Amino acid sequence: MEYKNISPWMHDVKEQPVEMSTRIRLARNIDHIPYPHMMQNSSGIEQILERLDGVLEEYDQKDMADLKFEDKALLVEKHLVSPLFTKQGLKNYTSEDESISVMVNEEDHLRIQAMGSCQSMMDIYRKANDIDDRIEHELDYAFDERYGYLTACPTNVGTGLRASVMLHLPALTSSKRIQRMAGNLSRFGFVLRGIYGEGSVPLGHIYQLSNQLTLGQTEEEIITTLDELKQRIIEEELEMRSWLEDEHLLDVKDAVHRSLGLLGHAYKLSLNEAAKCLSDIKFGIDLGLIEHPHFHFQKWIQLIQPAFIKMRLNDKEGTYTSLEQAVEEERATMMRYLIGGE
Amino acid sequence: MKCESCNEREASIHISKGDGLEKSERFLCEQCANASFENDFSYPDDTFNIQKLLQSLSQQPGLHQQQKKPLQCGTCGSTLNSIVQSGKFGCPDCYRTFEARLPDIVARVQANQTEHVGKIPEKSKEYLKTKRKMEQLKAKLQALIDTQEFEEAAIVRDEIRALEKAGEDDGI
Repeated sequence: MEYKNISPWMHDVKEQPVEMSTRIRLARNIDHIPYPHMMQNSSGIEQILERLDGVLEEYDQKDMADLKFEDKALLVEKHLVSPLFTKQGLKNYTSEDESISVMVNEEDHLRIQAMGSCQSMMDIYRKANDIDDRIEHELDYAFDERYGYLTACPTNVGTGLRASVMLHLPALTSSKRIQRMAGNLSRFGFVLRGIYGEGSVPLGHIYQLSNQLTLGQTEEEIITTLDELKQRIIEEELEMRSWLEDEHLLDVKDAVHRSLGLLGHAYKLSLNEAAKCLSDIKFGIDLGLIEHPHFHFQKWIQLIQPAFIKMRLNDKEGTYTSLEQAVEEERATMMRYLIGGE
Repeated sequence: MKCESCNEREASIHISKGDGLEKSERFLCEQCANASFENDFSYPDDTFNIQKLLQSLSQQPGLHQQQKKPLQCGTCGSTLNSIVQSGKFGCPDCYRTFEARLPDIVARVQANQTEHVGKIPEKSKEYLKTKRKMEQLKAKLQALIDTQEFEEAAIVRDEIRALEKAGEDDGI
């Protein structure tokens, strides 16, 4: 029950400080068919779907029209599809362990995505690349000798590759060094930004580092540079952490234990508060200040998301007058249980 | 008194900030007051706002169509203007229709890069190989004609025809 809806691939993930999961996305289109935003009817895309059903035979195939709002929201929170896709997407194909997802009619005809953790970014790219090869065998991709893969938006043209890695950066956030770092990265054509929420501080201090440019570099070059920049950011974060430990140990200890207490005993938790507390606890575990037998930052950060909680409420079939309050209450109940506060 | 930030809850906290020259005062509720003390690390989300980038392009005189009827993509009906406005091409054929303007558009959002050097799909590899071979043969044919070696030229001509026929059969 506790880990229901969490993607199977995530179960084997052994957590490490700072680095979380990696995502590789390839944008592909079929020649001579208008891009999704210009599509008048589905005649061209129907043939594509038919072929894909065959190529991705062993995948779970979901027609978006059959899904309810909360099912779609859950897919977004699991990072299997994008928010845009829930509005205009036609069909989603996912591998059994949910590490690979193919979206039909996102901004481009096809978006192939592979996710993973604790493995090299290049290995994850190869997974996406294999699926790309299989699909290419059956469909005629729009490709140009000079401009590469022809995408709806010129920001994706060329390789159509967006590689990204999620990073937990509490120390760089609190020491305010992250802004300058993000500014420097943008000069290399890379972006560092909060992954969840629109707020001033990203939810759970989780950031995403990704490439901005898709033309003029090979896939390998993009991934190698991203990997190097990732290492550099991890080093800076760890440096900052030991500085905080040396200079502000009492404050750090206080924040970590306070958050542990909150999650272990609260009866109502907002997404923001829960995410902040989880971030503090992860920080404390990484620094060796506390231990917790089952703590799993990546999984728990997903479990506290709204659609995950609503699914739990649906399973319980209880009645409530305010959904918002019921969600906050359920989030706290779940956390008390997971942390083992009572 | 209502909170100045959310305009919903009652203001319960008075925040006064100043550095001697400038002073600002705000009356906020507890929630908004707490939020105002959180570190603000939001980066402008549209550092790379492609629409704005491209729209400034449309103001360049060179981009305005000289013909009475603007060039339109035969597959999807997009015009240069509609592409620039939406920041997106209408279909893959737009890249061919508006080929002349592509360096402007693409280089602008890709840090002046204009050449793909990454993966080439298998099918295109075949096509590119054939295309390159064809170019070589045609050059050879011309050279043979120039030197009036017509017997040799006839052989090369047949090779070109065979290649063309194979290409048609493969749908290339």
